[in-house]
Amino acid sequence: MAYTKVAKKYSGKINEVTLGTGDKAITIGGRNVLPFHHFDGEIGHPPKVGIEITDIVPDDWNNALKNLYGDVMGDAAKWAKYVEDNYAPDFICLHFVGASPDGANKSVEECVEVAKQVAAAITTPLVVAGCKNDEKDGELFAAVAEALQGKNILILAAKEENYKTVGAAGALAYQQKVAAESSVDINLAKQLNILMNQLGVKAEDMVMHLGVAAAGYGFEYLSSTMDRVVLAALGQNDTTLQMPIITPVSFETWGVKEAVATEADEPEWGSAEERGIHMEVATAAACLVSGADAVIVRHPKSLQTVKSLIEGLLE
Amino acid sequence: MQKFMIIGERIHCISPVIRKALEERDPEPILKRAKEQIAAGAAYLDVNIGPAEKDGEEIMQWVVQLIQSECDNIPLALDTANKKAIEAGIKVYNRSKGKPIINSADAGDRIDNINLAAANDAMCIALCAKEGIPRDNDERMMYCQQMLERAMEAGMDPEDLLFDPLFLVIKGMQEKQVEVLEAIKMMSEMGLKTTGGLSNVSNGAPKHLRPVLDAYTLAMAMMCGLTSAIANPCDPKLQEAVKTCDIILGNTLYADSYLEL
Repeated sequence: MAYTKVAKKYSGKINEVTLGTGDKAITIGGRNVLPFHHFDGEIGHPPKVGIEITDIVPDDWNNALKNLYGDVMGDAAKWAKYVEDNYAPDFICLHFVGASPDGANKSVEECVEVAKQVAAAITTPLVVAGCKNDEKDGELFAAVAEALQGKNILILAAKEENYKTVGAAGALAYQQKVAAESSVDINLAKQLNILMNQLGVKAEDMVMHLGVAAAGYGFEYLSSTMDRVVLAALGQNDTTLQMPIITPVSFETWGVKEAVATEADEPEWGSAEERGIHMEVATAAACLVSGADAVIVRHPKSLQTVKSLIEGLLE
Repeated sequence: MQKFMIIGERIHCISPVIRKALEERDPEPILKRAKEQIAAGAAYLDVNIGPAEKDGEEIMQWVVQLIQSECDNIPLALDTANKKAIEAGIKVYNRSKGKPIINSADAGDRIDNINLAAANDAMCIALCAKEGIPRDNDERMMYCQQMLERAMEAGMDPEDLLFDPLFLVIKGMQEKQVEVLEAIKMMSEMGLKTTGGLSNVSNGAPKHLRPVLDAYTLAMAMMCGLTSAIANPCDPKLQEAVKTCDIILGNTLYADSYLEL
């Protein structure tokens, strides 16, 4: 009997969200099928990959990255420009680790100054990530959103604890895009979207950060959460879950044993740099097939590898 | 599973306000009820213009165009015994948000409405009755089968049929209630879509009890697989029942604010 191709149709569609301005602006989302299932319907915009940089010289980064970047790491604007010129990621994630009250505790004013310099140095879309302190992040995001008005940045992210400040300032007052973060909690993911929406943030100005885990470290919880969200968004046409998903893979993968252990400690494991790249490439690839529309990586080789994976799958 | 679908029942010529509005072609009362029901979450609106023997075609075309043009082409169920009026309504119907539903065919005199639906690529409510109330579920399921066969012969997709087991009034026909629920279960097990005029169950009961009877009946019917109902979406108790059952059945994902959606 002849083979009859049956396309899987869904009633819902992932929203399209644009980041940045001008020629390098990117749009994510827009598909009405599962990730990479181009044989079923509209694949929308190919997933995007960004590179992470930090506001201060990070003390816990792999030496290989420190050697790769050298002095530019001391100046976030130069670093961003270097990344843009040499690796051309789809976007750059400026991670304000220096804002942490438990660390360098840079003031909001100092951080805003860095954000302005970075934004002025590049034309690549900018994602701004916080320091994991909800209160500080709330203030920081509000101030950065105001200072970078018109740049159409993505704020990563509003949480249950600070969504009112971040949503009101980020999206409502200064028209930036805002990610809603819900650490691998599917019901909270939906609830936070509803709350942001009730606050007045439009669905098309939002993306979801469903949490992040490194492959092998509870990743199956993240993956099943993403699956369930995507199936509700597409199959049940749940408009409260149709925001594209961004996953900052590098925030987790470079902190796990496989990436951290030195070559002296684990000689049979091989190069620490390669292990770090493998961890983030494996995790990023898994996130993309689970439904992430954008991922953040740290190593330029990971960027290159994940980009070529996406291109290969969509050929 | 798909979310439960409410077909809003409030544009019905049995209401004096609506009857007058239809006679006088007065848009206001009709649009008010249409918008209220849509805001309350109705996916379809039933438009009952009564027997409309005289000017049914004209009334149906007027009301279909009125509601769809003012309410973002909300899909409609065309509800009248006048076949010509249904055909006329379909001619001006906008399909961008969903096919028209013909309300309704039965296994008796109105079985031809299935062919009417097939010929017009419409959906059709198939009332599992012939003359009066079916005696038992053997009879109900025989009618169900007859109409299903008629539809398949006419080339219709079974997905386009909504089988109505015929909800019966609780006050007076209490002993029939479980049977109706069992019929819904059998139809669901056949993979068929189902619907019904839910408020039948609370007919004649005191006003304050009607939402209670409707909501609990609906919850039990949803457990048996009911996929839609012709009901009043503006009834908060009913909305609570639908949304909560949709959560329990996994048709929608839970969030603390689920009742507010």
